[in-house]
Amino acid sequence: MTFHMRKLSSLFAMLMLLSAFAYGQTRTITGQVKDGRGNPVPFANILVKGTTTGVSADVNGNFSIDVSNDAVLVISSTSFATREVPVGTSSTLSVTLTEEGGLQEVVVTALGVTRTRNQVPYAAQKITGEEVSQTRTSNFIQNLSGKVSGLELRQSNTLGGSTNVVIRGVKSITGNNQALFVVDGIPLDNTNAKSANQATGRGGYDYGSAAADINPDDIESITVLKGAASTALYGSQGGNGVILITTKKGARGLGITVNTGVTVGRYDKSTFAEFQREYGGGYGGYYEDPTGFFLYRDIDGDGVKDLVTPTSEDASYGGRLDGRPVYQWDSFDPLSPNFGKAYPYSAPANDPGEFFQTAVSSNQSILVSGGTETGSFKVGYTRNDDKGILPNSKIAKNLLNFGGSYNITSKLVASATVNYSNINGTGRYGTGYDDKNLMTNFRQWWQTNVDVKAQEAAYEREKRNVTWNWVDPSDLTPIYWDNPYFTRYENYETDTRNRVFGNVNLTYSPLDWLNITGSVAHDGYDELQEERQAKGSVTTPSYTRINRNVMGTNYNLVATMDRDLSEDINFKALLGTNVRKERRQFISATTNGGLVADRIYALSNSINPINAPLEADERREVWGNFAGATFTWLDMLTLDATIRNDQSSTLPEGDNSYWYPSVSLGYTFSKNLSTLDWLSYGKLRVNYAQVGNDAPVYSLTDVYTAVTPFGASSIGSVQGTRANTALRPERTKSYEFGLEMAFLKNRLGFDVTYYNATTFDQIFPVEISRSTGYNAQFLNAGNLRNKGVELSLFAVPVQTRDFSWNINLNWSKNNNTVEELYPGIDVITLGTFQGGISINAALDQPYGTIRGNDFVYTEGKRTVGSNGRYLMTSESNYDIGNMNPDWIGGITNSLRYKDFSLSWLIDVRKGGDLFSLDLYYGLATGIYPETAGLNDLGNPSRNTIANGGGIIMPGVLADGKPNDIRVSNTNYGSYGYSYNPAAAFIYDASYVKLREAVLTYSLPQSIFDGSVFKGIDISLVGRNLWIIDKNIPYADPEENISSGNLQGYQGGAYPTTRTMGINAKIRF
Amino acid sequence: MKKLITIVLLPLLFMAACKKDLTSINVDPKSPLTYPSAAFFTGAQKNMMDLLQSTNVNVNIFRLIVQHWTPTTYTDEARFDLGTRQVPRQMWNAIYRDVIRDLREAKVLMADELLSPVPAEDAVIRQNQTAILEIMEVYAWFYLVTTFGDIPYSEAMDVENTQPVYDDQQTIYMDLLSRLDAAINNLDVSGDSFGASDLIYNGDVEAWMKFANSLKLKMGMTIADVGSQAQSIVESAVAAGVFTSNADNAELQYLGAPPNTNPLWVDLVQSGRKDFVAARTVVEKLVTLDDPRLEVFVTPDSSGTGHSGGIPGESNNYAAYSKPGDAFIDPTLPGIFLSYDEVEFYLAEAVERGYNVAGTASQHYNNAVTASIMYWGGTAAEATAYLSQPGVAYNSSNWKQSIGEQKWLALYNRGWDAWIEWRRLDYPALVKPPTAFSDIPLRFTYPVPEQNLNRANYDAASSAIGTDQVTTRLFWDVS
Repeated sequence: MTFHMRKLSSLFAMLMLLSAFAYGQTRTITGQVKDGRGNPVPFANILVKGTTTGVSADVNGNFSIDVSNDAVLVISSTSFATREVPVGTSSTLSVTLTEEGGLQEVVVTALGVTRTRNQVPYAAQKITGEEVSQTRTSNFIQNLSGKVSGLELRQSNTLGGSTNVVIRGVKSITGNNQALFVVDGIPLDNTNAKSANQATGRGGYDYGSAAADINPDDIESITVLKGAASTALYGSQGGNGVILITTKKGARGLGITVNTGVTVGRYDKSTFAEFQREYGGGYGGYYEDPTGFFLYRDIDGDGVKDLVTPTSEDASYGGRLDGRPVYQWDSFDPLSPNFGKAYPYSAPANDPGEFFQTAVSSNQSILVSGGTETGSFKVGYTRNDDKGILPNSKIAKNLLNFGGSYNITSKLVASATVNYSNINGTGRYGTGYDDKNLMTNFRQWWQTNVDVKAQEAAYEREKRNVTWNWVDPSDLTPIYWDNPYFTRYENYETDTRNRVFGNVNLTYSPLDWLNITGSVAHDGYDELQEERQAKGSVTTPSYTRINRNVMGTNYNLVATMDRDLSEDINFKALLGTNVRKERRQFISATTNGGLVADRIYALSNSINPINAPLEADERREVWGNFAGATFTWLDMLTLDATIRNDQSSTLPEGDNSYWYPSVSLGYTFSKNLSTLDWLSYGKLRVNYAQVGNDAPVYSLTDVYTAVTPFGASSIGSVQGTRANTALRPERTKSYEFGLEMAFLKNRLGFDVTYYNATTFDQIFPVEISRSTGYNAQFLNAGNLRNKGVELSLFAVPVQTRDFSWNINLNWSKNNNTVEELYPGIDVITLGTFQGGISINAALDQPYGTIRGNDFVYTEGKRTVGSNGRYLMTSESNYDIGNMNPDWIGGITNSLRYKDFSLSWLIDVRKGGDLFSLDLYYGLATGIYPETAGLNDLGNPSRNTIANGGGIIMPGVLADGKPNDIRVSNTNYGSYGYSYNPAAAFIYDASYVKLREAVLTYSLPQSIFDGSVFKGIDISLVGRNLWIIDKNIPYADPEENISSGNLQGYQGGAYPTTRTMGINAKIRF
Repeated sequence: MKKLITIVLLPLLFMAACKKDLTSINVDPKSPLTYPSAAFFTGAQKNMMDLLQSTNVNVNIFRLIVQHWTPTTYTDEARFDLGTRQVPRQMWNAIYRDVIRDLREAKVLMADELLSPVPAEDAVIRQNQTAILEIMEVYAWFYLVTTFGDIPYSEAMDVENTQPVYDDQQTIYMDLLSRLDAAINNLDVSGDSFGASDLIYNGDVEAWMKFANSLKLKMGMTIADVGSQAQSIVESAVAAGVFTSNADNAELQYLGAPPNTNPLWVDLVQSGRKDFVAARTVVEKLVTLDDPRLEVFVTPDSSGTGHSGGIPGESNNYAAYSKPGDAFIDPTLPGIFLSYDEVEFYLAEAVERGYNVAGTASQHYNNAVTASIMYWGGTAAEATAYLSQPGVAYNSSNWKQSIGEQKWLALYNRGWDAWIEWRRLDYPALVKPPTAFSDIPLRFTYPVPEQNLNRANYDAASSAIGTDQVTTRLFWDVS
């Protein structure tokens, strides 16, 4: 024994030990798991009761496990009722499982404890790894959409962009509301590292959700713990709900699974701008030629003035595209074939839709697992290459997984996992209102006479910034926009993230009902983000590099017991301690005033001496102790109670320790109604829980900021947010009622939950009047209530040996109310946005009200002033929308016929508003078709009024009579900002989407006899295939700027990528 | 077995070993808990001047309001759309938070920096520094109170009171004047002050004395149309000694590299944008008067030799019109807090109003115009010739027009001051753009967050001044 102990001195040695040695004393049992018809049940879980020792069966249901004579095996598999089988003295076992319809039986709960269905007294929804991996997307988080009730996802359409994951509504007014990801007991940092500017649509990149570093092919199952009672043992970290991921475990024998696939994607045209084809560049008729729509210069030197496009104007209220010869942007480019030529002014062959290329992803993975009597291991590798719809965009992922366990003795098991991920991004999409986000350009500020492919040719020819948007034909420098290809190929970012997460566990089972586990879990990554702005760009040339280092380590010691106190009563208990240490370091440096040498991206290439880099170093420690007890009577009534104490470094000494309890009761009433044939299952759940939370780091003490000196004079500044030495822990109280029922031999069932949670005494920087000299002050203030209903429904309309049809539906409705802010404060502004928009927490309203200026209404109708334009409120403080959906839902249909299976998911969001900056500006600048065309008189609306043009804004005059004042549509603005309030650009964000469809053919088992293959599945997969219904034109209502609390705003929106692919899954 | 238990318990022991200093972790290692007081004074000076100089449409749109410049394409702010970009909010925040807060912090930190007992020499320095901080603070408040009217003042700058009352504008104004007097009395010209941390006068206390009196003159004249206090304020300021030449000007000399360049360079050059042309209003005036500052203030238009300006608040063809002159795209262009020509204009006005100051109104007027022309590189001869023209020569019978129009030209590139003087003197006659959102603003509306965060006091202030509209006149602006 001591021989092995010495080897445990390092993680590396331990891993070697686990994988290399086969050593043991206990007896080995082999067996097979079958269903009621005698077919093997593949991949069932086999667990030694009262321990965490377990294996998985292989594809043919075969397993092998080392046990002592008195052991009881708990055998479970999705869609089957869990069975407990004493091993007795035999060395082989044949276990038959009874099918159980759509409800899952064994559930992994907090801290990885597995429980039977009857013993789970709170909402916990399980989905399989297959469900998130089969569509072969590189970000598995997106694949949770529509599959779990109470879980609201919002994803951005950028390549590798982040996913907003909120369970049961926003709870914290300004804090983090993202669910916690826990992988095999390792809490995973899911920070979306971004600037405040990025979140409010002012440029920057969305570097994605860090939890997407998890290998989807390594996921065995996911349990979503929604309410505080189910997550109480995780402490404050778990307050936003927990997504508990269990990775695959090695099984006896050798199993190899290979996935290889490729998907291609095209942009969904219904989610991109359409361009009017009647008029070209300009803001109106006030330039130089007699019509006013063109510059008027003698270009060819013949003494006669020529028509020239006003190249400086990033709008399309210009001259008619009627084929007249006009000097255009490339007429002044000496290397262009059009140099020195006027050529017909007409709608281009290629509008910006042609800018998008075909996205291609390839995905290869191998997972090897195996085990002997005394140990098991798995090794996985996944390589993912995503090329986006924008030129020069790609993300490559390398994911390595290792896991192993080794039975040192029958009572001592060591196990470990190590995961390494390496993400390399190039050319992520720019976001928000920025010259690096070409959607801002194409959707808001574009000249409809420009052929985007001609811009490509110009860039390819010269590799410099030959833009359509010259200051003037006499000044060939860009004014507002670069050549879009120059932007993509020269002003690009690159990024790298290297991450290691894993754990080491040692479980000691001195008694068959007692386990003691010590573990260390670590998650750490380094990130490098480099952003470039080339010489010749509109924006100051620059190079910025950001280094981030994030580390989190958890030390745990947990004792669990599981004992039958009598024939009737089972008692489980848990006692543990947890230390969590986090550290985040950050440094960001940027060149100053421009670059000296071309295309050299180094800080030393700065024109002026660089200013001091920004630095941050944040540390947090939380020490927790927790205990739990569960009594189960007759496997029917379960009473569960937990208590946890946390002591956090971020709270004031003396007030940094807080307790929070939970109590839950589950009653499986169907046990008392076994005479009812039609009732297969019935359980009532009720629970109550509290969760505490600590403060953001460094919110107790005021510090100063040193600003770049003015010459030799130092500059100091007071920080905008005032610290507070007297913060108390914040609290959430919640209760929940649930009812699960299944009928007709588990062919039909539902799980419905009502919850009501309030988070109060919130710690956040409360915005205060700036006349105090501060922006905000850390306070305990605010009370946010979320109440709602979650419903999961399943039905199995058909189930025969050859054909089955399963339906799963998830539906949730959350009502959120800001019940209290700070005395005297009605509204806290969460973010202000371009377009005069703010997103707010307003008293007695749902979190996330959108404010801006509004129309003036007369008897509910939009009022038009005496000039024929809409009257607008001068203040921008009117409620004009709300980001929260009325409800969300998803419905999955799965059909299986012999070796074919087909499933598809319809994902629905009903209600919720969004503000579109794209239409606010784009309708003003005349890009979209509705800004041109014919008016009510049948004449071109852009004609002068004298010439039969003009439009009549729908609405009423101040006296209530219908508006009959014709206004000019010759110059920009009529349909967009300037003449319309922000309220005109609020859209209903509802959608119905065919989110995914998968068709799989499993090659018949018979052909593999005698071969090395155990199975081959060929799948055709599709994602985001069809937006069946939506209300916002030219955009995907789901598209956002990034994850985070500020939703309901679109600016520079990317189109949806519709992907289709083929994947082969080969098992050896 | 004991060894096994030890192994299992190792993590626990490790935890126990680490369980020290939990609270001490929560200290930001990258930010100082204290910092030299003078550094806050430097920051406040720079922030105040950045605000006065900026032409960013989110922050400072006064050049557009007084029709010195006009945007070519994005005309909203030139049409007085204050709401979309929340312009009042940015200004309000900048003064309260980035200027006055830092000045107050310098005072607090200064007290901690004193040795005990205080050496006599240091005591004088502290006394001067305290007085100069007070003068800068009065300067900052002057812009707030003349822009908004009633504002949080007596209860402001106190984080313990997050909902400060708005005080009556006139009461604030008179309190600022008495604070200014007290500060002037505390200046001791025998001692030093901030030294190199003072970006205006390099710590020269005598210069600060002149500045403070010139500011007092400015503040006195600003209220000349209301009540009788103005006369004694102006007379005492002049008697104590105000600016006597351009050499006295209070300027901040910007540097060549970001972030310490003149903000105009950022807005006009670094941004690469071509948003602004000179407004027709100012160009026509300069051309008509054959003003020697014309070529400095604006570039030639597309004709190459002539000068013309864009129509204020309307869409303009950038290529066609005169742009701001080369001086305004120099990153090191000094920003002016207060200038000698301003002082002379006030003195001319004081004479007209019968105040007891030396000289004649026309002398002071001529001095003012000459100082401005020479500041911008002209000669005394050019000034003399200019002043001899009928359209320029001082007209005592309509002194408001003479002073108003010439001051408006002299305050070119100082839009905020030009706006204050335009409201007071009602000259030049400005015409609002036809598509303007409102009449030309006579004040700024309160920032939106005040409605959300300080509602009761906001409501009280709105009704105290009449209504929270841009057309509400402030107490010193009589129609």
